Amino acid sequence: MRTEEGGNKMSDDTNAVKILDLKGLACPMPVVKVSKGIKEIEVGQVLQAVTSDPGALTDFPAWANTTGNEIIKTETEGKETSFFIKRIV
Amino acid sequence: MEVQSYRAEELFDWVTQGGHDFTLLDVRNNEEFGRFKVEGPHLSKMVNIPYIEFIENEEASVDRLQVPKEERIRIVCAKEGSAKYVGEILLNNGWEDVRILEKGIKSWGNLLTPKLVASQNGYALYQFIRPGKASCSYGLIYEDEMVVFDPSRNAQFYQDFANEHGAGIIKTFETHLQADYISGSKLIHSDTGAQIVGHQGDFKDAVFEYKSVNDQEIFQFSKGGPEIQAIHTPGHTPGSTSYLIDNKFLVSGDTVFVLSIGRPDLGGMAEEWSKLLYKTIRTKIADMNDDLLILPGHYLDWSEANPEKVIVDTMGSIKTKNADIYGIAEENDFVRFIKDNMRKQPDVYGEIRKVNAGILEVDDEEQEIMDLGKNECAASMYGK
Repeated sequence: MRTEEGGNKMSDDTNAVKILDLKGLACPMPVVKVSKGIKEIEVGQVLQAVTSDPGALTDFPAWANTTGNEIIKTETEGKETSFFIKRIV
Repeated sequence: MEVQSYRAEELFDWVTQGGHDFTLLDVRNNEEFGRFKVEGPHLSKMVNIPYIEFIENEEASVDRLQVPKEERIRIVCAKEGSAKYVGEILLNNGWEDVRILEKGIKSWGNLLTPKLVASQNGYALYQFIRPGKASCSYGLIYEDEMVVFDPSRNAQFYQDFANEHGAGIIKTFETHLQADYISGSKLIHSDTGAQIVGHQGDFKDAVFEYKSVNDQEIFQFSKGGPEIQAIHTPGHTPGSTSYLIDNKFLVSGDTVFVLSIGRPDLGGMAEEWSKLLYKTIRTKIADMNDDLLILPGHYLDWSEANPEKVIVDTMGSIKTKNADIYGIAEENDFVRFIKDNMRKQPDVYGEIRKVNAGILEVDDEEQEIMDLGKNECAASMYGK
């Protein structure tokens, strides 16, 4: 398993309060689901989204950039990537 | 209402022929859009609003579009899904003529469009423009044989084209070891047995079999036909070779372009290769007839096309248009011109060279990604 730390030291807590299984979904559905999912947790909490669509690797950071939420960690295992997203706004 | 689609071939006709007024809405992320977008002489209205913004703020994104409801909107995305998503939003918001690009931007990136350059003395010469790469490959047919110059990796296209014209491909000429796109020669060879022709200055490390071409060597078809004469024109690469067809047309690879000239700095030896190119200009290009028709490997933009949208010009006209290059009278000044215009090449070029030499094997999906995007092969820094 490959882990990449992202964000700042304040964001070390990656305990997700909600997990979205987005495996098998293709563009635009992963972003649609994450956009909805992030609104169902509180600011400061973390959402974990598990994807298999290669497009997510560029689209999730672009989405985070657009919305102002923060990807604090990504984990890649085979064709699956987990994004740990902290709700900021 | 279901969103209708359109094909890359249709898009090519619209953006090159005109008469089809529409707005191209690209819904990929800003970064991908910035790196590679649809281009054409009649593409006057293009807007990039990422699909992510339609998801996050539908109303504001629809407002940003600023296209009257009765006008046509043609959507592009990476594949098809996001375009469909946005297309449905637009239909729900009152637009009626909204269509999405079949198979996404990749189908534009791989599109090859044939143009007849000449049909005379029993032969037919075609230019295959790849608008997504701004590159040109060529096909020459005589009787039941076809030779190809600088094929892209869409090898099936060339084989189908040959078949439709009652011919089989017997040779593929590589004007040089390409750095900016993956060559289709190996695939064509394995499908048809066609011989690959290249210069050992570029292909000495290649791990596949090729016919090593010599300066001034002449090639012909089995039944005669137009002569194809190799002219070694080093500079862009040490093995760069141009091919003179029927003493009238020069397939110039990345040496002579209609605007600018092929960069001699891509191999990491700018000084040495610039001197090679300077010598080629002085000793070979200088001697070429002014009425020789140049068929280049790339174009910078569509202003280089003739009224029939073929990328071609005479040697005389090219020397006039590029007097700032061909008029340089000293080798030192030429090297300085090259160095002043140098800019970073895309990181992927090193890997593409290895794939084209057969040294690196990558799967089809990876090749697809490596191969997408416009070329960076001209010396002048128009893009800077």
